[in-house]
Amino acid sequence: MRNPNIVLMVGLVVAALGFSPDTLAQNSSAGGWLAPDFHKPPLRDENRKPAPRRSLAGTWHPADGPGAGTQAGGVQLKPNNGRPENQLPYTPYGLEVYRSHKALEGVDAVLPVEHNDPRNFCEPLGVARYNHYNVRLTQIFQDDYKVVILYQYDNRWRIIWTDGRELPKVVDGGVEISGDGREQRFLGYSVGRWVDDYTLEVQTVGTMPEDRVWLDATGRPISDKARLTETFRRLDYDTMEWSETIDDPKVYTRPWETMKLPMRLHDPRTDIMEYYCSPLEQEKYNKLFGNAASGK
Amino acid sequence: MRNKFVIGLAVAVGLFVSGPLFAHHGGAVYDTGKKVPLKGTVKEWVYVNPHCLLILDVKGEDGQVVQWIAETQPPTSVFPLGYRKDSFKAGDQVTITVEPLKNGRPYGRILQAVLANGKTLGNVPGAAAAPEAGTAQQP
Repeated sequence: MRNPNIVLMVGLVVAALGFSPDTLAQNSSAGGWLAPDFHKPPLRDENRKPAPRRSLAGTWHPADGPGAGTQAGGVQLKPNNGRPENQLPYTPYGLEVYRSHKALEGVDAVLPVEHNDPRNFCEPLGVARYNHYNVRLTQIFQDDYKVVILYQYDNRWRIIWTDGRELPKVVDGGVEISGDGREQRFLGYSVGRWVDDYTLEVQTVGTMPEDRVWLDATGRPISDKARLTETFRRLDYDTMEWSETIDDPKVYTRPWETMKLPMRLHDPRTDIMEYYCSPLEQEKYNKLFGNAASGK
Repeated sequence: MRNKFVIGLAVAVGLFVSGPLFAHHGGAVYDTGKKVPLKGTVKEWVYVNPHCLLILDVKGEDGQVVQWIAETQPPTSVFPLGYRKDSFKAGDQVTITVEPLKNGRPYGRILQAVLANGKTLGNVPGAAAAPEAGTAQQP
């Protein structure tokens, strides 16, 4: 007859090996609240799945990991580091506006007490700068009429209409829709069309003027005459490329490409931490740290 | 005479409180590349935007306790690195390495932290290992 104690002990050991704390941690979603997984296996032919048709839906993050979408030093493709290849084609007015923007980042950063960045007053960043500042876990939902982007930074959302409506006409101080004058918007007016089953091209106009929003954290300008063209290209099931070109004749002499950001799909159950800009938290931070860093 | 003093004081106070309401800084305030090891007692861990803050009492070589405040990135940035709301508790004995401010005040940004339970947390993925921690250098 088998010793029941030995059987019990063996059973306990087997159970412990199969359900070690580490194993539990990897398999567990911590009560269902999944943390982002930044260690996904690289995609190869054997694990690449086909892209769904006309779908951008999902929870996305820059494919190169945390920080890849931060763009603190300026837009992804043209960081403001003083290098000749990153110089922008400013109009005289555009250069004047840039110099009026006292930024905390980039080659022309000023002392903290001298800045005038609207971000630090928790002002909405504007559609372009949301693409160029802390692009992190980005949720995209869509239905038959629209694609909606939920930005993690400051928990902002934006609608891209895909129902065939016309892009508004830009006029001084706003836009015109069917003869009606309409207001400028921080997120602009966005219209998208599928150029093929895997590529959505989006046009945005009607953004806020250059004294309210910046293009990036280094103070590059964007005016209310800007037209942004974004391309969302679904490469396969797990990857997407998000590109943007700005055409803003008020401040730039020609269109130029700001970003081409590869994005990786994450589990739709991934918990997304809040990243609000709270004036009270900013004030507390400044009292505890920011003022000392600024020399106050 | 007293009126001139009051006016002067009012002007001085006005100058002190004027300027941008929010002085969120850029990276240029740091003494880039410099590493200061700090060993001390946690007073408070502030886990909020725009930056998490660790308030630490550090005893210097002269026996004087200096309060250091070290920041990290916001919670959503440091969560993948293991920083949690309860990573630091008041009274914990911890060792951190900071990149200090250029202005010499006892503030800096965390490059690495060794918690009371011995776990090491980094601020930047792939950050270089911290030097041997010792007592604080006086700012």
